[in-house]
Amino acid sequence: MNRRTLLGGLFAAASVPALAACSSGITSLENQGSAGSGGGSSKGGLTIGTANFTENQVLGYLYAAVLEAAGVKVTVRPNLGTREILIPALRGGDIDLLPEYQGALLHYVSPKAKATEEGEMQNALTIALPSGLQVLPYGMAEDSDAFVVTRETAGKYGLASLADLKKQNGKLVIGAAPEVKKREVGAVGLKEVYGVEFKEFKSLDSSGPLVKGALKKGDVDVANLFTTDTDIQANDWVVLTDPKNLIPGQHVVPLIADRKADATVRKALARLGNTLTTAQLTELNRLVDKDKKDPEDVADEYAREHGLVK
Amino acid sequence: MYELLKNLGDWLVSGEQWSGSDGIAHRLAEHLQYSLLATLIAAAIGLPLGLLIGHTGKGAFVAINLASFGRALPTVGLVVLVFLAGGLSMLPVYVALVALAVPAIVTNTYAGMTAVDPDVKDAARGQGMRAHQVLFQVELPLALPLIMTGLRLALIQVVATATIAAYVSFGGLGRYVFDGLAQRDLVQVLGGAVLVAVVAVALDLLLSGLQRFLFRHRTA
Repeated sequence: MNRRTLLGGLFAAASVPALAACSSGITSLENQGSAGSGGGSSKGGLTIGTANFTENQVLGYLYAAVLEAAGVKVTVRPNLGTREILIPALRGGDIDLLPEYQGALLHYVSPKAKATEEGEMQNALTIALPSGLQVLPYGMAEDSDAFVVTRETAGKYGLASLADLKKQNGKLVIGAAPEVKKREVGAVGLKEVYGVEFKEFKSLDSSGPLVKGALKKGDVDVANLFTTDTDIQANDWVVLTDPKNLIPGQHVVPLIADRKADATVRKALARLGNTLTTAQLTELNRLVDKDKKDPEDVADEYAREHGLVK
Repeated sequence: MYELLKNLGDWLVSGEQWSGSDGIAHRLAEHLQYSLLATLIAAAIGLPLGLLIGHTGKGAFVAINLASFGRALPTVGLVVLVFLAGGLSMLPVYVALVALAVPAIVTNTYAGMTAVDPDVKDAARGQGMRAHQVLFQVELPLALPLIMTGLRLALIQVVATATIAAYVSFGGLGRYVFDGLAQRDLVQVLGGAVLVAVVAVALDLLLSGLQRFLFRHRTA
């Protein structure tokens, strides 16, 4: 289970207006998500919903910890499902706040959006989100797609970046979730942007046991994983760099209903966003997935250790 | 809803969809290949086992329970387990499909054998028939209708489950289901599901027709 699952599901959100991404030039980081945050108030408390994978739940409890410390009454409803369930629940008032990811959320509300840079995406999101919803400033932590090879493969073929894959056209086998075959951030984009052609595309799972097992055993040469996957570090795998910015940023970003977005919430979540790094988030995932700790305990302990709560 | 059915119809009949390595014709051939091979392997294991325990009456408890254990194994779990142990090949798929098919074959073969009238067996022995003659000339022919039912059941289950080959990157009609789900292409998912159902029903009708033809002179 992982970030892509949040995207998955059968029924694309037909109700969401599809706006083209904003043009170039709007890269200011100011004004993030400030649209329409006039009358919101968190005085009556708010409900956080999270998706059906570990990291999202950890993030939800982190949000809860910092908001409670700021005096907001919080209810957490974990493991609700995918975006297809969460976004309607957010609009309908069942939940008020949801940990999201910039690129994936933008793709969801505006499938044709071309923005990949953080500031651009933040602005594109502000434009594309349905009325009543807004994003708050995005955090430092990021859970993006990564194309990963083993240390051995990297040495054998001289691979450091996605551009290097082109030198081995027709030789390498890639393993990824089935949707990656037809995705821009996948086989399609790798061909268009980097001119990479694989020998074969093996449809496996997204950053799960199949694709990682296949990479470990050498059944695939390149695997599509997520940057916060703890196995990357554990196995000393090499994440190929992306010099042409094919892969959109996936910074963690709070998606909130306008009715609850006030200065208290905004400041508390921004402080968390400025503290939590990708490496730390990866470690928190590891604590839950590998050490089988409770996500709420893990989140509370992190918040205490980093002075986010007293 | 109407739109969906119309798209589904278009998908199923478009010539483009039928050709090429991702075309329906090719996927159908793959699906049949996986299913038939898995059922054959299962028959090679299940038939002798069922005949043996049916004939001797020994080990029935163990064999039937072991077979039921195979039936209770979650197929996807088994695929992942064998995959992680053995790597990426068709082996995990075949192991899972065979584990699914063996129980139906063993239990039906055994049931067919035990349903043979003991008096008939006695009479055969009384005429001086040897054990293997009793088995192959008396018991087996009498048990054949139930044995065939077991094979039929096994094949249908395997056809319906062979979609998991796509879960570990291989072909078959499951490709449409898994790719469609991942790509949020409902028409493709439905198309795949409908094709699997059609293949299963068609094979079932074919085999039951064959069964009726073969045993047309028998009274039930």
